Amino acid sequence: MRNKLHEKAVISGVGCSRFGDLLETPELKGLTIQELTARAVKEALDDAGLTGQDVDAVFAGNAMVHSSQVPGTYSQLSKWTGTQFKAGVHFEAQCSTTNVGAALAAMSIAAGVYDTVLVYGLETTRTKVKGFSPYEREPISHQQTWLWTDMAVNQAYGVPQGYDIFSTYNGLVALGYCRKYGLSLEDYDRSMFELCRTRRLHGAMNPKANIQEKLEDRAAKEGFADPYDYWRSDKHNPFVAWPSRLLSLVTTADGASAMVITRANLAKGGKSQPVQLKGFGINYSDLPWYGEDPTVWEFDRRAIDAAFDMAGIEADDIDYLHTHDCSHISGICTAEATGYLEPGKGLAAAREGRLRFDGDRPMSTHGGRHAFGHAWGASAGTDTYEAVLQMRGQAGPRQIKKTPEISVIHTHGYAMIGTVIVLGSL
Amino acid sequence: MPTIAENPSAIRSYYEGLSKGVFRGTVCKDCGRHSFPPTGCCEHCGSWDVEPVELSGDATLLLATHNIAPACHPRFEKIAPYVYGHIRLKEGPIVQAIVLGVKATPADLKALYERGPVPVKAETLQMDDLPVLAFRIKG
Repeated sequence: MRNKLHEKAVISGVGCSRFGDLLETPELKGLTIQELTARAVKEALDDAGLTGQDVDAVFAGNAMVHSSQVPGTYSQLSKWTGTQFKAGVHFEAQCSTTNVGAALAAMSIAAGVYDTVLVYGLETTRTKVKGFSPYEREPISHQQTWLWTDMAVNQAYGVPQGYDIFSTYNGLVALGYCRKYGLSLEDYDRSMFELCRTRRLHGAMNPKANIQEKLEDRAAKEGFADPYDYWRSDKHNPFVAWPSRLLSLVTTADGASAMVITRANLAKGGKSQPVQLKGFGINYSDLPWYGEDPTVWEFDRRAIDAAFDMAGIEADDIDYLHTHDCSHISGICTAEATGYLEPGKGLAAAREGRLRFDGDRPMSTHGGRHAFGHAWGASAGTDTYEAVLQMRGQAGPRQIKKTPEISVIHTHGYAMIGTVIVLGSL
Repeated sequence: MPTIAENPSAIRSYYEGLSKGVFRGTVCKDCGRHSFPPTGCCEHCGSWDVEPVELSGDATLLLATHNIAPACHPRFEKIAPYVYGHIRLKEGPIVQAIVLGVKATPADLKALYERGPVPVKAETLQMDDLPVLAFRIKG
């Protein structure tokens, strides 16, 4: 594998909808999936100073077609995004979809096929089409969401025999981490609390986040003087897979994201500051996702190595990191695998506030999967969106003090495709 | 003899085996390693030259947690929350499966965690519509 891009590709525009619920969230209520997607696409195209007719190809991502019901997305969305008569494909890499799309776009540009590619992702994990209505939606039950989502997981033996994301992705990883590093379960719980506080703080500073309320504010509203008592309350924060609690997990959302990828020389003098897509790594595995040691995920290691090699970076070069954090403990393990956090010290870093936007190891400043929310095929694009804002100095109150020059974004596409992209300032 | 890859369905064969208390996998003729459950191809080296093998069911439970309730899959609604474990088979493969012989409570799971790895034995858990793999804690 040569693992090289033979021409520089840059992200010249990014867009992202508010994440929330198409039935409840004020900024989204009443929108159709077409309009939701168009909002993200319009923002990205405007950011790049282009229209849909300026792009050569459209890579349209959507994972859970059961709720969106727009397969053939490229054509069904073309008149909503101004992209008629383009090359296009509907693709999915589950929760890595949009960043795999960025990698595919960079490949197509570096191969000399296209100059400019629009990548977008859309997903509705809270609402689905109501009956046969073209515009009405209804809530999806918890069980229905996971039945559809888990169709991306081993359907021969895993799901039929009791596979459960909360056990495999959270509880077992947490126990493996504690045993490996000699961390007490009490310290683990406290660390998860502090990590959730950090993510909720970031969400509270992000007008596009699903949850924009600090954890301590929620605790106070529920009558708790000490937010840690709220955290340990079975009523408000039950164990979903002991010792992992509900608030260490993803929150579902409807949402869309988009980005414009183009040849570097075409972005010069453009409307917005471009960011180079310096490298990527993609690697997948079926269950089990780890061997005896639940903190070591081989496919992630390979994706990280490939991305760092292509980008020509080392761990010390990373200024900003997002790792997939549907499971907060898994996200910490991945951060340690990148070298951004010291192995076995990630939870201590969380407890000490070092992962906050104003800490020395800032991570997931948009709020991550818990506070920003998770719309499967759209979410990786929101991670990239946040990194680009940070690298431009446009992240507002959650701006990292030292503007990042190298950002690394890791996502887990169910189940599992580890995807790492490296962004660099030009 | 046909190889398992030439049989109509390795998946059907696996579940039919479970219904009889037999745990079917494959062993690779090229690298000698086991794949479990069977896929008709060696999961380690990619060789297609594999043959069916019955596994002992002897294993070690490394870690155990519980699933969410209500269960993500309707098949398991009746037994949720159930204990779900990270297990190393005697023959080598790592599997995750339902664990029997311990309650799905924080206190019981903590006590089990503090014991460290414990021996378990595979058995079949008959759900309404499907036999599924489970492991029971020994002793």
